[in-house]
Amino acid sequence: MSSVRPKLKPETPKAVTGWATATGLSVWLTADGAWTEDASGLGVFTGDEAEARLAAALKQEGVVTDPYFMEVTADGKITGRETLRESMRAEPALSFGGGA
Amino acid sequence: MYRYDQFDARIVQERVAQFRGQVARRLSGELLEDEFKPLRLQNGVYLQLHAYMLRIAIPYGQLSPVQLRRLAEIARDYDRGFGHFTTRQNIQFNWVALKDIPDVLDKLAEVEMHAIQTSGNCIRNTTTDHFAGAAQDEVLDPRAWCEIIRQWSTFHPEFAFLPRKFKIAVTAAEHDRAAIRVHDVGLHIRQKDGQVGFEVHVGGGQGRTPHIAALVNPFVPEAQILDYLEAIMRVYNRYGRRDNKYKARIKILVSELGEAEYIRQVEEEFAAQRPGEKIDLPASEVARIHAYFAPPALAARPALSKTLEAAKAADPAFARWTRANLHPHKVAGYASVTVSLKPLGVAPGDATDAQMMLVADLGEKYGYGDIRVSHAQNLILPHVALDDLPAVYAALDAAGLGAANESRITDMIVCPGLDYCNLANARSIPVALAVQKVFADPAYEEDIGKLHINVSGCINACGHHHVGHIGILGVDKKGEEFYQILLGGRADEKAALGEIVGPGLKADDVPAAIHRVVEFYRAERTSPAEKFIDTLERLGHARFQEALYAAG
Repeated sequence: MSSVRPKLKPETPKAVTGWATATGLSVWLTADGAWTEDASGLGVFTGDEAEARLAAALKQEGVVTDPYFMEVTADGKITGRETLRESMRAEPALSFGGGA
Repeated sequence: MYRYDQFDARIVQERVAQFRGQVARRLSGELLEDEFKPLRLQNGVYLQLHAYMLRIAIPYGQLSPVQLRRLAEIARDYDRGFGHFTTRQNIQFNWVALKDIPDVLDKLAEVEMHAIQTSGNCIRNTTTDHFAGAAQDEVLDPRAWCEIIRQWSTFHPEFAFLPRKFKIAVTAAEHDRAAIRVHDVGLHIRQKDGQVGFEVHVGGGQGRTPHIAALVNPFVPEAQILDYLEAIMRVYNRYGRRDNKYKARIKILVSELGEAEYIRQVEEEFAAQRPGEKIDLPASEVARIHAYFAPPALAARPALSKTLEAAKAADPAFARWTRANLHPHKVAGYASVTVSLKPLGVAPGDATDAQMMLVADLGEKYGYGDIRVSHAQNLILPHVALDDLPAVYAALDAAGLGAANESRITDMIVCPGLDYCNLANARSIPVALAVQKVFADPAYEEDIGKLHINVSGCINACGHHHVGHIGILGVDKKGEEFYQILLGGRADEKAALGEIVGPGLKADDVPAAIHRVVEFYRAERTSPAEKFIDTLERLGHARFQEALYAAG
């Protein structure tokens, strides 16, 4: 739901992420097509496969909301212009409800 | 406080049932997110960085103990054990699952609460002075008029799809604690020649284009205020920019038309209302609503409490708390208590379920069943006997709510920032807590006196950085958080917008920079009685700017 999402080139490694429709929790698409709440398990995709994965995710409205590409390195580390935001999603800096 | 009649109760119950069906269709995939989004927003449901966020309306910031306990139960059973009180005097839950929200709304409806019009381009929760009904400097209790405005604006068919969201604030006190001049409409209730009326300010606001509201009419008689508000809304609804959301607030319309032309159009619209079109607000109905806000039956008490004085003498920490967190009550022998939700190390405005339960209990036992939320994100017990203050403080302090910092430097208004918010560019909470640490010594903080720091994590200004004496605005520069510092803002009757004083600072540099500014103030003030904002206005910004950027 970020207001501006960067357009990524086909060859840029990317992950597919969104929010679980039922809970709203952040989720990432794994290499085997499941959704995980643990960003360390995200799958890395490029080219046509990435487009196909996102297209499939967009059809899972009752499961995942607003899926989109996020930029990662080839080994799955968050990178690119949205690193700060995506890192916050993947690994919150606050101990929510227990102070900071 | 106002109680639902059968129509209120039925409307809210039917709305929950309607939303339950919408949620079911969303979860089945029948409703697409693009279709569902406007429906969920109309019920206060956002999708934030980590989860759904449910914003619940607290009309003009007033809660009963029963309602606060229900909010605590929701925090405990459906969230992660806490809730976040907001600058709109509402509460937000940050971790409620969509599948559970209809159940939560049902539980709210049972205690006459809902989340309607807490989002979307409609008239939002009307806010007011958190000391309403207790303050010595008010001409009357403004809550009845807030309730009348609430009833008028709820589901108003003409104003359900405005160009942008719309916020109204009301005060009846000389000292503006409701920040009315930075609202779309700010109403100041006044009395003239024995008649009650409204001083009307329009076009204030913060965000990326901050404005102080224009005085549009110095006195609209109470019988005409809803018609006058309709005229204001109609001009806005007709001419407000719908082509650009960043120019869609009424402040832009007033600015682009010019104050004189905007006022002319409102007056023309007001004059053109036909008799049958006028809102028939009988005096009996106004009196009926006022009766809901009758003052509590406070027993007569001496103005000086020996119990209180003895407790102050015995406990310096309690004495400090009484100097910071009490506000004079209109009835002798009582005070209004600020329950600070800004203890060190906790996200400002957060309260745990146990803390909410405690405040509900205290409100019931010592506070005549009246609890408020302030726009500064604290809780208020407006009517507490002076004799009871030691017991109230002891209970609060034992629960981590004994901070003696109301309107002090650690009592910051802070938005959720990038820790929670999808719109934010930078984190707000960690930088606020880092600044708090610098001023953690209670004696030092007390010596500094009244000083408002407001922190926002982006230009949308939910943390009111434009009107902090010191404002902190988080920005993203190529993936790194920087913080711009503003000086000189204020939200009271002398409302002013702060000015950005120079380049942004790295997060780690902010606490020391704020400390230098505060130390400069302490060195330059004419006496400890001269407040930070007064010294700043006397000396000008340039010398404070030098202190801010001095080599640390």
